[in-house]
Amino acid sequence: MAEAPVAIAGLAVLSALGRGSEPQLAAALAGAAAFGPVDRFDVSNRRVGVAATLGPVGSLTEELAEVIEQACADAGLSAGQRAGTELLLAVHGHPGAAATAAGLAERAGLAGAGRVYIGACVSASSAVADAAVLIGRGAERVVVAAGYLVESDQFALFDAGQALSADGAVRPFSQGRRGLLLGDGVAAVVLESRAAAAARGHLAGTELVGWGRAGDAYHPCQPAPDGRGLARSIDAALRRAGVAAEQVGYVNANATGTLLSDAAEAAALRTALGEAAARVPVSSTKAVHGHALEASGLLELVITVLSLRAGKLPVNAGYLGPDDSCPLELILDSPRPVASPYALSLNSAFGGANTALLVRAL
Amino acid sequence: MSTADAFGMSTTSRLTVLSEYRWPPEPDRELPMLPGYVLSSFSPLVAAAAEGCLAGHYADPSAEPSRQRTAVLLVTAGNDVVSADHVRDKVAAGRRPGPLFFFQTAPNSVVGQVTERWGLGGPVVCISPVGDPLADGLAEADLLLEDGDADEVLLILAEQGDPAAGDGPGAADRAHALLLSAGAAS
Repeated sequence: MAEAPVAIAGLAVLSALGRGSEPQLAAALAGAAAFGPVDRFDVSNRRVGVAATLGPVGSLTEELAEVIEQACADAGLSAGQRAGTELLLAVHGHPGAAATAAGLAERAGLAGAGRVYIGACVSASSAVADAAVLIGRGAERVVVAAGYLVESDQFALFDAGQALSADGAVRPFSQGRRGLLLGDGVAAVVLESRAAAAARGHLAGTELVGWGRAGDAYHPCQPAPDGRGLARSIDAALRRAGVAAEQVGYVNANATGTLLSDAAEAAALRTALGEAAARVPVSSTKAVHGHALEASGLLELVITVLSLRAGKLPVNAGYLGPDDSCPLELILDSPRPVASPYALSLNSAFGGANTALLVRAL
Repeated sequence: MSTADAFGMSTTSRLTVLSEYRWPPEPDRELPMLPGYVLSSFSPLVAAAAEGCLAGHYADPSAEPSRQRTAVLLVTAGNDVVSADHVRDKVAAGRRPGPLFFFQTAPNSVVGQVTERWGLGGPVVCISPVGDPLADGLAEADLLLEDGDADEVLLILAEQGDPAAGDGPGAADRAHALLLSAGAAS
């Protein structure tokens, strides 16, 4: 049986594409990448010195506070409604993370911090899935926030791991792809039970209708080549929603522009969607905003929602040509009109962790 | 088997403890090396706790289809603080961290080592506790089981000692692993 839908009642976002929804959508649709030389910290001893950064930014805590406030305002939450709403936060793990979450909840007038997710690149999408379960249990609404601002330590680690693209571009599913690039991403969403949203007369426009999580059981830092965990995540998301593969009208892919991961994701889509995988439009917006690590799942969910609302699907930027290991229906050159209300947002992480979120435009 | 009453948390079900293990099992026990991980005890600590717990329930590490629905939930406030400090010092000195730290510093990485060895294909979730770590872990495990993508959850709570508090390397490391399923023990 399908789960009760969860309204995406409010959202707020920033990335290197800009502050707010409009710049995200405009750049994603146009395939206008935001990568440039890093001047936020010293990169003189790094192999690669490029990332997608937003110019002047506040501290991560300040930027999180701002998007949480904006998302609550976008959802039209009263002080009383905020006071009954928990915050789930996705950030890089550090000993002060819980205190940060508690402070953010207090500052926004929320009930408190329910969880802090530190599971690398599936942190935010895990938080969204958990929020949906909590709402299924009876919570009226949950605020999910996530943030990563490009900083020196993670940048140095990705550089040391030779994960960064040496040609200054991210080329998901493309021949000649050379790796990922990091990017700023800070976002918040208000998830609310459909009944609670309707009761206060709030028209959300988009709902989270399915979610799934599964592991590869394959390797500490490489994806299973057959994409088995991601395929089962997609299966679970579709099953929860009672949606057939043929109904999926867009996939916002995890694709980071790395050789192994993109091929594994393509295999997962072929497994999970079957023949429909040859027809479903796919793009990875990491090609324009970069990889926002713990925040990537929420940034990409927001861009997926904005695209559905706009009726246009983002292009897969940075593309040089087909790769036999990625036989997908990529959106190239120009935005594709939305032909189905259902869209998947996929994320994968080290440790073979995978998530799939399924949204529907109303 | 025993039953965890979820320690007074807001939960909708009880949890059955299929297996439980604590590191160190006795004082002064040395952590086994974990190939591919260097300098810090965090990943070996997680792996040792997981190994002891899973060996107490499963006959062997070989993959079985039923384990495709075993989730792994890592709960840690400090994460790998030794590796994080090492990277911070390297970067502050204008040097490159070693490439192994690229994946070692992500908590999911050692979870992937555990899932590969034991064939655990359920959700992988890592959280930092906002309250009592065990209570938070049990609450999240309960949520994962209720959600339905997992029939069992390997919950691992792990914290390294604090060198700033005078703890020697690895001396105050503590981990607690529980293999959990939904429902009361029969």
